[in-house]
Amino acid sequence: MDYILEGILEALNLLISFDSEAYGIIFLSLFVSYAATLISAVVFVPFGIYLGLAEFKAKKLFSRFLYAFMSVPSVVVGLFVAIMLSRRGPLGCLQLLYTPSAMVIAQFILVSPLIMSLVFSMTIQDGKILEKYGKTLGASKLQIILLIIREKKLSILVNITAGFSKAISEVGAAMIVGGNIKGHTRVITTTIAMSNSMGDYPFAIALGIVLLLISLVNSSFISNYREGIV
Amino acid sequence: MQVSLANLNKSYNGINILDINSLVFKRGVISALLGPNGTGKTTLLNIIAGLDKNFTGKVKYNDMNYSEAIGRKITMLFQNVQLFRRSVYENIEYPLRLRGFSRENRKNKVRRVMDLLGITHLMSKRGHFLSGGEIQKVALARSIVFEPELLLLDEPTSNLDPESLEAFENHILKYNKDTNNTIIYVTHNLEHAKRVCREAYFLRNGEVIKEDGIF
Repeated sequence: MDYILEGILEALNLLISFDSEAYGIIFLSLFVSYAATLISAVVFVPFGIYLGLAEFKAKKLFSRFLYAFMSVPSVVVGLFVAIMLSRRGPLGCLQLLYTPSAMVIAQFILVSPLIMSLVFSMTIQDGKILEKYGKTLGASKLQIILLIIREKKLSILVNITAGFSKAISEVGAAMIVGGNIKGHTRVITTTIAMSNSMGDYPFAIALGIVLLLISLVNSSFISNYREGIV
Repeated sequence: MQVSLANLNKSYNGINILDINSLVFKRGVISALLGPNGTGKTTLLNIIAGLDKNFTGKVKYNDMNYSEAIGRKITMLFQNVQLFRRSVYENIEYPLRLRGFSRENRKNKVRRVMDLLGITHLMSKRGHFLSGGEIQKVALARSIVFEPELLLLDEPTSNLDPESLEAFENHILKYNKDTNNTIIYVTHNLEHAKRVCREAYFLRNGEVIKEDGIF
């Protein structure tokens, strides 16, 4: 049991002493996951609202596919992106494999169905009435989408946070497309997996604590925001 | 704006909801649409407002078909209206923003309609914290601030106390007098219709009957 306590103490020491390797990993993780989530939100929040409002024949079938993609395994996404970006793959000329950009692409693909389907179902549930109000006040389609984003900003923010949580906590895609290269593509989750297999518990625990802190900061931010706008 | 309906038919799952041969809502007139619940009054308003396009027949607005430009001259006030999660001022200002009015112009128009409805004291309050009567007044202000040529009222007074109801009816009459714009007022209360409207139509089983004898 002592090694667990020692691990926690060493982990705290690593964080307090601003260990450059640990903080490099933390900042890269935050950059990759925030970039992937942000790009996904900018594209798929308006698109999810648009599809939620639209009436088309295969809407039910489409929603089933969308919900199925919510739980797509991260290793499958990683494998797909790796094949696409590999030297012999269709996008091999971009030379992105084993770079942070490849990790952003993989996490973007991973979180997009989640963000889009949550926004899509929110719009089906609550968006129609706002569409009605917007339409009768003279709003165009784009203005209705902007109205829904503004009126449902808290729900949308929660959805985006769920996407970010999925991105920052996944290990499979980051490992496959990033390669866990020290100082280049090593992120929190891949480091925890590697440290655990090497028996380097203090480092793994330190990064585990940081992951928990990130979740705590995110949920606190949403709680404060909710209290501020309600 | 004059609204003419011809051979209008709306059915759902084989059941006829509306079957109107011919009906004209004259320009500048407040017309009542009467009838018990479930007779298609709201459905008809939704069709006229351009919210429901799943029907057969013709709806003409000053002899023109519905278009986005015409839709921007129509508004509808709902029975259980909700305000947006922003200040009362911003709620009322919203349709003016959509129409690209300048900031100064928006300010003047919002202030004028707030004065008219006696809600200036609510200006900075959040829309979703108001009482039922206040919400209805703000919603009316939001609907008339851009002076729509056709105002559709879907039982907007059902949640109002008698005092607020009288004030509401007076505002409707004043709006009609000042602008000469068309108003269609859906209600199942004959007394309300008598006080406010010049013409009345009764909907029964989706068919419309002109009521000449009530005024």
